[in-house]
Amino acid sequence: MLDRLTLSMRASHVLAALLVVAALVLAVVGSAIGDTFYLRLATEALIFAGLALSVDLLLGYSGALSLGQALYFGIGAYTSALVLMKVPSFWLAMGAAAGMTFVCAIIGGLIANRVRGVYFALITFGLAQVVAKVVYNIRDLGASDGMIGIPVIDIGIGPFSVSAGNPVGFFLVVLVIIMALYAATAYLLDTPFGRVLTALKANEKRVPFLGYSVWRARMVCYLAAALIAGLSGALYPMLRGFVSPELMFFMTSGNAVISVILGGVGTLVGALYGSVFLVIIKSVIGSWTDHYLIIIGLLFMAGVLFMPKGLIGFVRPHVERMIAPRHLRETRAPEQDAPLKAEEVKP
Amino acid sequence: MKIRGYKVVLAAALAATALSGPAFAADPIKVGVVTPSTGTFAPIGQQVRWALELAAKEINAAGGIMGRPVTLIVEDEETTPAAAVQKAEKLFQVDNVDFLTGTVNSGATLAVGQLAERNKKLATTSVSFADSITADKCSPNVFRVNARAGQQSAALAAWLLKQKPKAKIYYLGPDYEMGRSTVAAFKANAEKLGAQSVGEVFAPNDSKDYTQFFGQIRAARPEVMYISVAGNDTARLLTQMQDFGLLNSLQVVGASGTITSANMGALGAAANGFATGAGYSPQIDTPENKKFVADFRAAYKVDPDLYGADSYGTLYAYKAAVEKAGSTDTDKVRAALEGLTWNTPQGPKTIRAGDHQAMQPMYVVRINNGKFDIIDKVSAEDAIGPDTCTRF
Repeated sequence: MLDRLTLSMRASHVLAALLVVAALVLAVVGSAIGDTFYLRLATEALIFAGLALSVDLLLGYSGALSLGQALYFGIGAYTSALVLMKVPSFWLAMGAAAGMTFVCAIIGGLIANRVRGVYFALITFGLAQVVAKVVYNIRDLGASDGMIGIPVIDIGIGPFSVSAGNPVGFFLVVLVIIMALYAATAYLLDTPFGRVLTALKANEKRVPFLGYSVWRARMVCYLAAALIAGLSGALYPMLRGFVSPELMFFMTSGNAVISVILGGVGTLVGALYGSVFLVIIKSVIGSWTDHYLIIIGLLFMAGVLFMPKGLIGFVRPHVERMIAPRHLRETRAPEQDAPLKAEEVKP
Repeated sequence: MKIRGYKVVLAAALAATALSGPAFAADPIKVGVVTPSTGTFAPIGQQVRWALELAAKEINAAGGIMGRPVTLIVEDEETTPAAAVQKAEKLFQVDNVDFLTGTVNSGATLAVGQLAERNKKLATTSVSFADSITADKCSPNVFRVNARAGQQSAALAAWLLKQKPKAKIYYLGPDYEMGRSTVAAFKANAEKLGAQSVGEVFAPNDSKDYTQFFGQIRAARPEVMYISVAGNDTARLLTQMQDFGLLNSLQVVGASGTITSANMGALGAAANGFATGAGYSPQIDTPENKKFVADFRAAYKVDPDLYGADSYGTLYAYKAAVEKAGSTDTDKVRAALEGLTWNTPQGPKTIRAGDHQAMQPMYVVRINNGKFDIIDKVSAEDAIGPDTCTRF
C-alpha cells in the first residue's frame, strides 16, 4: 500500500540519494586535486548533520522541540575522546559512545518527558547547560580548555583500513555512517511505531484512546534521537583531534535547530541539507565579514516567512509529483504536506 | 559592516612603499592570524590585529623579511576552539600560510597548536597565559611570546613578600579553569617565599553579589588578598568590598587581566593601590617602547596594552628567525626560534629552547589614580620558573 506518508518519505530518499551523489562527486574531485580543507569541512558538516537529524526526529515527528540536543552530541564526543586516548579503536569508541549516550538519555528522558511543549524545550535546555557547566569545571576532563591529544586513528573495516587523517577516506566513512543513521531513522518511522509518533504530533490526546502509551512512544523517540546525536558526536574528536565544552553549549544545539528549520522540519533529509547549507554559509561569509551571524539571522527569518516548510519542504512536493503513481498524482493538493494530514482529524 | 580587506589594504600599503621605498619582486610571506573579532574577547583581538598590522607595515616599509613582503590573512577565532581549528585549517591548507598567530582562548591555542603540528607548520600565541601551553601540554610546533601565568605570579609574589614577609594571604578567583590555575600558581609562588595561606574561595563567573563571601574573608583576618576575577566582576567585587570597609588596611593584588583600562572607570577609587605582575606597561621607559606607544597611538588613537605589545613582538620574532634560518621551512625556523633573542618594546626577549616559552623581565605595576605605575622589576631568569616540558 502506498499512502501519502510513504510517498513523501520516498521523495526524501530521492533527495538523500542526490546528496550522496553530490558528496561522491566532491570526494572524487577533492581527491583528484589533493584538497584537504574542503573535504574536512564537508566531513564536519556531515557530523553536525547527524545532530540536526536527531533534532528533526524529535521535532518533526514527535513534535518535541529539544534546545539541548548538543548534550548527547557532547557526551558522545567526550566518551569517544576518552576511549581513543586509551585504546585507538574506532569500533570501541563508537560502541562506548553509544552505550554512554544511551544510559545518559534514559536519565535525561525520565526527567524531560515528564513535561511537554515549551517546558520540554526548557528542561532540555537546562539539562544541557548544567552538564556543560559541570564538564567546564572538571579538571580531569580538561575543564574549560577541553582535551587535546586525541590520536589520528586507523579505522578497520573488514580487511580494509582507513586513516581518519586521510581526508577522502574519513569523509566517506562519515558519509556512510550518517546515511546509515538516516536510513535507520527512516526505517523506524516506517514501522507501526513511527505512525504512533506521527499521531502523537498530530493529536496527543487521542493516542491513548487508540491503545498506545504516549509516554513510551515519546521515550523511545527521545532515546533514538539521543543515540543519533551521540554517535555523530563520537566522530567529532576523530576529525578534529580535540573536544571542548563548547560542543555542549547552546550555540551547538541552536545551530542544529536552525539547520532543521532551514532544511525543513519533519523531512529528515532537510536536516542534512540544512546543516550542510549552514556550514557553507558560515565558512564562506565568516571569512568575508565578522557579522555573518546577522546574515544567518536574516536568512533564518526569510526562510521561516517565505519557505515555512524549509528548503526541502519547498522542493519535495515537486519530487513527489514526479515519482507518484497516477492515482495519487491527480488528487494531490500541492500545499499539503503529508505528515500534517493527520491534523485534519479533529477530536 | 567591516569587510576583511586586509590583503587589499596591505597590497595598497605595499604599492605605496614600492614607489618610495624598496620594491618587492619576491612572493609575499603569508602570516595567518586567528583572533577573536566577535564575542567576549573581541577587544583583545582588536589589539592583536592592530599591533600585527602596525608591525607588518613597519617591516614592509623597511624591506620585508629577506626581501619578501609580509601579508596578514585574518580570520575570526569566535573564542571557541572548534571555530578556531576550522579557520586555522583553512589558513594552513587553502591560503598556505607560513606561520600562524593570534589565538586568545587557551583551549583554542592548544587545539590550534595540535593542528599546526599535524600540518607541519608553526603556531604562536601572544595572549593565552595558561601555563599548560608551554608545560605539560607543550608542542614542538608551538611557541609562546608572552609571559605565562607562572611568570606573572612569580614577579608579584617576589615583590609582595619583600614588602610584607610572612604575609597572610586570602585568595578569591572565578570558578573555572583560568581562575583555579591562577590562584594555584600564585599560591605556590607565595608559599615558597614564606607566605601563609589563610583561605580561598571560588565565586561563580559573573557574580552580582560578593557580600556572601565577606564573612569568611573577615574571619580569616588576611593582610593581603589575591584576586583573579576580571572585567565587570572586578568592579563589583572591589566596590562592594570598599562599601563594607574591607579595603582598609588590606593590600589587594591580582592577575594581570583583573584591572585593565576597560574597567578602571567603573572602579574609581576602589582600584587605587591594586598591584599586579605584568609583562608590559605603556610606561616602560625605553626608546623602543616610547616609539611603539607613539606609533600605535598615532595609528589607532588608543594606548597599546600588553596584548598589543606582545603581538607586535611576535612578528619581529618571526622576522628574526626567518632571517637567521634563511628560509621559511618549518624545521629551520623552529631551530632558529629556539634560543632566539630579539628586541621588543619590553626590551630583549629570549625564547627558551626547552619549552618554547619566551623569557622576559617582569614588572610589578600598581594603580595610582588611573595610571599603572611601575614599582618593581623582576629579571627574566627569576620569573621564568623551571622547564617542565618533556615532549622535546
